[in-house]
Amino acid sequence: MTDFKYESRFEYDANNPFGHMQEEFPDESEFDVTIIGGGPNGLIAAAYLARAGLRVALCERRFEVGGGLSTEENLFPCYSSNPHVLYHMMVDYMPAIRDFDLNAQALTWIKPNAQTGMVFEDGSSVLLAQQTNDTKDSISKFSFADAQTYGKVVRDWKRIVKDILGPATYLPPMPPIETTIAMERTALGRKMLEIGEATPLEIINETFEHEKVRTLMLYASCMWGLDPRESGLGFMVPLLLDRTVNKCYCYGGSHKFAGALAREVVKGGGLILEAAAVDKILLENGRAAGVQLAHEGRVLRSKVVMSTLDPETTFLDLVGREHLPSQLTEDVEGWAWDKWSFNTLHIATDEPPHYACDDPWIDKSFATVVGIESVDQLLAHWDNVIDGKLDLNSFGGHSTCESLFDPTLSDQPGKYVSMYQIHAPYDLEGGWLNRRAEVEAAMLANWRKAAPNINPDTIISTSMEDPEEIQIRFPQMRRGSIKHGDYTPLQMGCFRPNQDCSETNTPIEGLYTCGASTFPGGLVLGGPGYLGANKVADDLGVKRWWKPTPEMERYIKDYLEE
Amino acid sequence: MAKDERFDVVIIGGGPNGMASAAYLAKSGLSVCVLEERTESGGACETQEPIPGVRIYPHAMLMYASAAPGFEQLELHKFGFRMEWDPVSPLEMNQGGLACRDGWRQITETDQIGWAKIGGMLGQPPFTRELMRAAFYCPPHPPEVEVTDENTPYMQVYKKHQPDIWTPELRDMTMFDLMDEHLETEHFKTAMAFAAWASGAAGHWEGVAIPAALCVQLLTLPSMGRTSIPRGGLHGYFHAILRAAVHHGATLRTSCPVEEILVEDGRAVGVRLRDTAVTGGRTIHANKAVIAACDVHQAFLDMVGPRHLDPAVIQKLKDISLKNQTLYVSTFHTKTPIRFNETFATNAHHTKYVGPHRQPAAGVFPCDSRELYYACVADVDGHKAQPRVPVEDVMWFQTPSQAFDPTDCQGEYPRGYISSAFEMAVTSPDYHLEGEDALLGYKSDMDRYMRDAYSQVYDGLDDDNVIHHWSATGREVEFRNTGLIGGTWCGSRHDEDQLWTNRPIPELSRYRSPIEGLYHAHQTSGHPGGLCLMAIPYNLMHILIEDGVADPGDWWYASPYYMPQEGKIPANRR
Repeated sequence: MTDFKYESRFEYDANNPFGHMQEEFPDESEFDVTIIGGGPNGLIAAAYLARAGLRVALCERRFEVGGGLSTEENLFPCYSSNPHVLYHMMVDYMPAIRDFDLNAQALTWIKPNAQTGMVFEDGSSVLLAQQTNDTKDSISKFSFADAQTYGKVVRDWKRIVKDILGPATYLPPMPPIETTIAMERTALGRKMLEIGEATPLEIINETFEHEKVRTLMLYASCMWGLDPRESGLGFMVPLLLDRTVNKCYCYGGSHKFAGALAREVVKGGGLILEAAAVDKILLENGRAAGVQLAHEGRVLRSKVVMSTLDPETTFLDLVGREHLPSQLTEDVEGWAWDKWSFNTLHIATDEPPHYACDDPWIDKSFATVVGIESVDQLLAHWDNVIDGKLDLNSFGGHSTCESLFDPTLSDQPGKYVSMYQIHAPYDLEGGWLNRRAEVEAAMLANWRKAAPNINPDTIISTSMEDPEEIQIRFPQMRRGSIKHGDYTPLQMGCFRPNQDCSETNTPIEGLYTCGASTFPGGLVLGGPGYLGANKVADDLGVKRWWKPTPEMERYIKDYLEE
Repeated sequence: MAKDERFDVVIIGGGPNGMASAAYLAKSGLSVCVLEERTESGGACETQEPIPGVRIYPHAMLMYASAAPGFEQLELHKFGFRMEWDPVSPLEMNQGGLACRDGWRQITETDQIGWAKIGGMLGQPPFTRELMRAAFYCPPHPPEVEVTDENTPYMQVYKKHQPDIWTPELRDMTMFDLMDEHLETEHFKTAMAFAAWASGAAGHWEGVAIPAALCVQLLTLPSMGRTSIPRGGLHGYFHAILRAAVHHGATLRTSCPVEEILVEDGRAVGVRLRDTAVTGGRTIHANKAVIAACDVHQAFLDMVGPRHLDPAVIQKLKDISLKNQTLYVSTFHTKTPIRFNETFATNAHHTKYVGPHRQPAAGVFPCDSRELYYACVADVDGHKAQPRVPVEDVMWFQTPSQAFDPTDCQGEYPRGYISSAFEMAVTSPDYHLEGEDALLGYKSDMDRYMRDAYSQVYDGLDDDNVIHHWSATGREVEFRNTGLIGGTWCGSRHDEDQLWTNRPIPELSRYRSPIEGLYHAHQTSGHPGGLCLMAIPYNLMHILIEDGVADPGDWWYASPYYMPQEGKIPANRR
């Protein structure tokens, strides 16, 4: 049975003409663990812990679980879209997919060979493909040397990801000094440390010589929010470039992943409440004691509360400043939101985008970067964005036609859903509301320049979601922060969200944080939720029914064990 | 490619009927697989948020199901079922009146008492739940039993509890006939008849007076006299059903359209998926039963196909009438709030601004007389073309049901004002004289016509103030959700020829089909039809018990009005 404790006070009162005719979920109930937020991390934590035999309740504010794992009718009626279409980069490594056997049971991942293309005004193009030689062939149009270099470095990058960064994503973070000691053990580890000290821009410029190749590589390295000129996170460049050519599409839409995880929660005896915003984390004698729901006042008691929300919401809004140690308050207040957000234009069309360029494979590519001609232009665009500006005569972004891989997104047969996304400031000069129409027109013009068939004759409908709207849909993506907080050296690894909370436990006993603002971060890694489940299971003395993946075991053996 | 699979029961369609059937069967210990065509299960119980902060409920918005035995039998409260009770008190609502062309007209005490009496509220104690269960939550009688005044469940209830409603003519009446006997004002009768038409059984159809009236009663009296909704809307209600099904072991596969129901030696043995299914075109075998919880046309004409059915049955299936209106729903985003115009902004009771967003609520308009209702019906169901009723006369309704749900973020929408849902009946696409795609071509004309009609009551729907008008034509509804055939919300017409033992045709009326092992459980195909009542799954259980497919535990109880079929296992044996 669904596992929680409550006392039923329900009574059908036949004499009351306005009496309830059915019993509702109780006003007070008791669980072992309550989890705030039904995004990927909340769902993963709930699924592991429910199967471990704990009584778990997951509270989701929206009408549907999934958080970023959503497939919704942005183009109502008839056309659905996946805001996180490009985020399924860790499907190969994510323990939850293996532990719940989701690929055999529920999910089908499509991993196109043509992964990320870039088209230029002169009709030339570069394509990053899953198969290295296809990438090399494309790069060789510009520079044979770069093609050969790519062939070599990509081997190192793949190994760094496979042996180190992939598995380390799902193990607790280590302080920098311990990481250094561990990495010193192998040649590959030392290579990674070396890369880590450079900035992404330095890495790209030192590795490649041709401007167009550099431009795409820099875009792919930093599109998720690395600062191109900051050192300290250079080790993420190999990770992001390797993952750039290993993105998967979740057939039927990203929400299928959320749905599959939600069913694991329920199969394990867990409870999911939607339309259930938490407005208070309850404390008793200084430790977490449960949550209270907004609007309806229902109380769910539990000895463990796990929050997947951002630090400000979890600590300042839900716990309350008065209950926090001063260091924690200071850390939370010093949290830096993402340096930029996204502005996304969804469109439904009669045809898929056809790019006027020298390589027909670009039309089949999972993602295509348009509007960017050079490294300098790209850097200028990003600098503008950080300054709160958009130069509508010089900007670019990435597009994807989801319907190429998934006919189910369009309810009308033979029509296509695509999106074009640009980096954009939350505080746009002039205000989003005033400038929306202008920005949308500029994006359409910019996209059409690269793909001439995206024009009024083929467009059925459009819908733009600006950074302010990201926060309206997902209030914890404050200031449109899709990762719940910036990727900087001081907010990554054991510093995410701060040194006291990066292993998911917090200075408040019984309270855990395991959302995108906790190590290893956002982008549907599924890391924080997995690590939170591990920590809570250990702290409650519950046997883990799962084992580390083979990659994790090898990493532990090679780098961590005495 | 993944291997073929085997379950006891395969259910085609993950809407409220398919999923509640799955929950009942899984709780009975059977292995069950639900196959849903769309990326998200829920069918008509759906919520969309096309623009952040703007929620749209394209179909099911209102809670009609409160009398369902499924709440207890499936223990939905344990799976998170919660209501959001409308904060507007019933008394206040009663003082509001009904919108007519000259302004609000009062609902009189005679109207209220007469209406309460029909709904079973005047019994001591009220017998509303019993009445609703009799009317909706009982499988049609077996073919060997002649339906009479004595054995019709709702007739039995009235005879016992409210004999002055019971008359020998009751089963022949129209809802107007019934209301003329017990109610007073024309505007109240007109509004209720229109609400009945929109809920399935129309106010002017003979022989369905009680089913028609009770559809409207389901909406009001059982949910405390108000149009209260579940938290998270009808999708929230659906979630509780889904989670009950999954908890008891049911498997759900979304993005899995079915190509064919496999029939061997006249027996349904499984289904073959379409090639675009997430698992490819695999076969899923059914040991005991296949249940078509998708529309009756798709199920029998496409998935079973003519080679397994005789031509007479095929013709009857084709002739099942969907010629009922399709509701064209509009949601508006405006710069300033829409407001009642001078005629309607008369006093505090009449300006029924509800919810955190203070949205005005007109209810049904114009309710002046049944002549207006007749003109609308003739236009939509008779002329079968673009509306020719003048905008001042066309009837519509507005039910801001979600406006008082605080979990619906649009109450605090920072970028203007959202008003929903405005609904008007139009010809369903399958019967449109200009063809099924005609509605698409007329969309902007229709949107304009509707705004003009709504502007009879409201200020603020002019071009300067409207930022966005979301609407879906009946044709788009068919694309979005193939189970809503004809774009009709309630499935096939809920009239005497297609209700109870005649629904959808007498041969199929007990959820069985000419194919052994193939059952149907969809609003288009079984009594009592639409409205997300959790009634068809409950009724179907009686039949599955009769056939030895299901053997539920002690939690099961049959309808007290159920009549077992001869030679079968009685479903009320306990």
